[in-house]
Amino acid sequence: MIITKDIEKTVSTSEGDLCILKAINLSVSAGETIAIVGASGSGKSTLLGLMAGLDTPSHGTIQLGEYSITDLDEDQRAKVRAELVGFVFQSFQLLPSLTALENVMLPAEINGVANARGLAEKYLDRVGLTERVKHYPRQLSGGEQQRVAIARAFASQPKILFADEPTGNLDTNTGAHVIDLLFQLNREEGATLVLVTHEQRLAERCHRVIKLESGEIISDSKRAETVASESSQSTDSDSAIPASGVH
Amino acid sequence: MFGLRLLWRDWRGGELGILSASIIVAVAIVTGISLFSTRLQQSIVAESSTFLAADKVLQSSRPVEEKWLERARDLGLEQAQVLNFQSMVFSGAEGLGEYVPESMQLAAIKAVSNAYPLLGEIEVSEQPFSVGKKTSEGPTAGTAWLDSRLFPLLNLQIGDKVQIGEALLIASRVIINEPDRAGGFSGFGPRILMNIADIPETEIIQPGSRVEYRYLFAGDGQSLKGFGDWLNPLLQPGHKWLGLKNIQPRISKSIDRAERFLLLAGALGVGLAGIAIALAARRYSERHFDYVAMMKSLGATSGRILSLYISNLLVLASAATLIGCFIGWTIQEGFIIILVDLFDVSTFPPISLRPFAIGGVTALVCLLAFALPPLIRLQGVSPLRVLRRDLGASTASDMFSYTMGVGGIGLLMLWYSESVVLTLAVLSGVGLTFVIVGCLAWYLLRGGSLVGMQAGSAWRLALASMRRRGIQNSVQAVIFSLSIMLLLMLALVRSSLIEEWQIQLPEGTPNHFLVNVAEHEVSAVDELLKANQLAKEHIYPMVRGRLIEVNRTSIKKRLSESSEDTQTDMDRGLNLSWATDIPADNIILDGQWWAADSTEAEMSIESGLAERLEVKVNDTLSFQIGSEKLSVTITSIRQLDWDSMRPNFYMMFPPGLLTQFPATYITSFYLPTEKKKFLNKFLREFPTITVIEMDSMITQIRSIISQVSQAIELVLALIIVSGILVLVASVQASLDSRFQESAILRTLGAGRKLVLGSLVIEFSSLGLLAGFLAAVSAELSVLGLQEFLLDMEFVFHPWVWVAGPIIGAILIGSAGYVTCRKVVNTPPVEVLREL
Repeated sequence: MIITKDIEKTVSTSEGDLCILKAINLSVSAGETIAIVGASGSGKSTLLGLMAGLDTPSHGTIQLGEYSITDLDEDQRAKVRAELVGFVFQSFQLLPSLTALENVMLPAEINGVANARGLAEKYLDRVGLTERVKHYPRQLSGGEQQRVAIARAFASQPKILFADEPTGNLDTNTGAHVIDLLFQLNREEGATLVLVTHEQRLAERCHRVIKLESGEIISDSKRAETVASESSQSTDSDSAIPASGVH
Repeated sequence: MFGLRLLWRDWRGGELGILSASIIVAVAIVTGISLFSTRLQQSIVAESSTFLAADKVLQSSRPVEEKWLERARDLGLEQAQVLNFQSMVFSGAEGLGEYVPESMQLAAIKAVSNAYPLLGEIEVSEQPFSVGKKTSEGPTAGTAWLDSRLFPLLNLQIGDKVQIGEALLIASRVIINEPDRAGGFSGFGPRILMNIADIPETEIIQPGSRVEYRYLFAGDGQSLKGFGDWLNPLLQPGHKWLGLKNIQPRISKSIDRAERFLLLAGALGVGLAGIAIALAARRYSERHFDYVAMMKSLGATSGRILSLYISNLLVLASAATLIGCFIGWTIQEGFIIILVDLFDVSTFPPISLRPFAIGGVTALVCLLAFALPPLIRLQGVSPLRVLRRDLGASTASDMFSYTMGVGGIGLLMLWYSESVVLTLAVLSGVGLTFVIVGCLAWYLLRGGSLVGMQAGSAWRLALASMRRRGIQNSVQAVIFSLSIMLLLMLALVRSSLIEEWQIQLPEGTPNHFLVNVAEHEVSAVDELLKANQLAKEHIYPMVRGRLIEVNRTSIKKRLSESSEDTQTDMDRGLNLSWATDIPADNIILDGQWWAADSTEAEMSIESGLAERLEVKVNDTLSFQIGSEKLSVTITSIRQLDWDSMRPNFYMMFPPGLLTQFPATYITSFYLPTEKKKFLNKFLREFPTITVIEMDSMITQIRSIISQVSQAIELVLALIIVSGILVLVASVQASLDSRFQESAILRTLGAGRKLVLGSLVIEFSSLGLLAGFLAAVSAELSVLGLQEFLLDMEFVFHPWVWVAGPIIGAILIGSAGYVTCRKVVNTPPVEVLREL
């Protein structure tokens, strides 16, 4: 579903060029769930942005579905995103002047989908917010806002869902409920899930965990291997992926 | 439909309030000013045209060709005819079937056709020297309307007969005033108005008679212009095609200046409106970066984004324009209702569509020039902003915005003012101000922190904030100072215009002339005026002479290539006078006034005539006075004020040079309305003296000047509203970051009083700086405008240097307080939650 080949990302700063990602090669199959983990500044969100077509690499190619998005301009990538991609963000990114219902309707309205309202109501119901459809984001708790964001992401029926620290702004309990909801919907919709996270328990729920350090992939392990690897590491040392999403 | 839903959601969320208010106010002000000033200007011009009793006058020394009048008729112009001439008139008694004249008087006679006057009304009364009433019809055949003073002079009552030439007419009314009274030589001597149908019976007009023929025309501007264009090539010497500018240069000049001022005000109003829209649109755009990034991440293309926002903008603009036009109309109607006692609203022409079209086009151009560029920026927002909020729009698009803005406002000003000079003057002034003020503001604001460290908390906070927002505050200081500068400029120009007009015609200006005073009557006249507490000007002697040579060259030869007017004036002869001292309001431009005991053959000439004759100091002029020739050397050139209502002379001589010639005397004096009946007594005592009554004309001029001044002040008030809008919009622009800071400060323990106090101090300080800078710019700009556009002398205005900073501090401080109160009244948790 997603194939990256030798992608690099370099940005210009006042101190000179800064290489954020170096020679990233990975492949994600349809229906897979992968977690991208690493310390702050390791390049996780940058990699997510590139894979989702929100940005272009300085070098390399990215295949998203049947599209080679590195060959496309921004408008063409927007069309690809409309067709294939959904997003869930750490800061929810709900539009403050729109109600919960209107926020969820947005993707369908942008793409001219008929019955955007019906679709939005369905997904809000699925995330358990039928009673709050007319409320504005400022009237919702953090967890409720993230549930609205999840409903919006799935309302566009994406093939690939990108989530950037979806529980980063939530407490542990709320975060757990949100993650349960996210994975449940993802199973039901059959989408590929790419997740950026600090949280170990979140990463453990994915099929694969890709670890980044200083812009490079240092490990890419499947779930069973990850558990075995963590168990092995926990007997050797106390260092581990932090258990909570504290930055 | 999605676009309209988005628009509705934006409106519901309060995102469009400022932008739509800016457009509405801009359109309202432009439409209101245009409606009101257009109608008022047309009304003033219409009222001023009554000085001609027509829109245009063809003046001739002989009857004109009938085909000229036919042409005017074909073009749909109304016509009337006037004959002006002087003649002796008689009063007497009828006896034995004969009319025996007993008294006689030289009178200025005006014979008018039935259509007279084409514009304005004639003021008549049923008794001499009493209050008049207006009528739009002249005397019928067989009747005559006499000047008040003719009744005592000829010993007449209303209804008696008066003999004019061979005709006997009934003196049916008293003529107080007619619209074109000051035209021609009807101003001299007592007047009689009669019907032109009675002229043949008088048998006065014979070949060679000195008669002034005036053909009056009235109609729409295009027809008049068409007729004038056709007529001008056909005019011969002795013909003049006259409009208001020729007949009443003072009024014409005043109206010209008023029009330019109103146009300037309108142009500046457009500028301020544009700035307000630009600020509001920019803020709207910046607040939509997240919207656009989100929409792009969900699959919206740049083109879709752009078309969404542009179509929403057009819908918004259309609605705002309609509302703005309605409010503009309401403002204009409101002014008319409020000022019903000051303006004769019955003379206001009906509303035309042009002001509304101006409002609509203004909105469209403002949107394209000011609102569109920030919105175009939106399409450049990266979708990556959903992950990295530091990403905005490129600064290169800022330059495009500014260029579009300046271009748009320039085009609007040009269209509105129809003056390239005015547009360039204002744009250059604003541009220069922007650069100079911006640099000064940046330099001064950078030094603020040194002062702040020693002050109390609110001061320290305020000055630290100013230093932190150095660039943003510099831009705000420039915008503030521009707005204040434009307001000060308007106030300065308005004050100068009004002061100059009032200086020209202060209260107590002489409003009656005494002409033809014999030498032996001078002391008696002086005594009578003093006895009645009537202040008079100096009494000057007058000798009639004709200029025949300049530097020993015949005047005919010298003027053969000169203007026809100069030739005609020289042919008529001049009034020569003498005096020991230079008249009070004359200024020597070149040469020197003579000593009190001078016996030299010298003279002083008026500067305008010197220019026309192309003479200078030490040139020689020769005059024919009676049968004698007098040659004198020019020893000084004088400038004088022809509008002063005092006796003025082109040529003046030292005493002793002209005393051997018979002279009459002339003076002027001020007669209050309540003492008008004094003229009865005066004329009985001095029946041969000619009294010229200028009071009606002066009253009319003063009324027009007063109206124009009022209009200017009203327009200024409208512009001030526009300026305040800009200030509020500018303060609003910094609101978002202030919300954030205030929330954090108050969360950390700062009280509301401290935070609000620091905001007020910050804005007041900015205002003080902006006001000072505005005073500098305003004074310089007004210098340019007065010198090059309004044809006025520059006067320094010390009050601006005090008022500017104070106004700035109060206005901006208040605007900041009112706008930022929300910042301290919103609970911090609400703000922090939205961050």
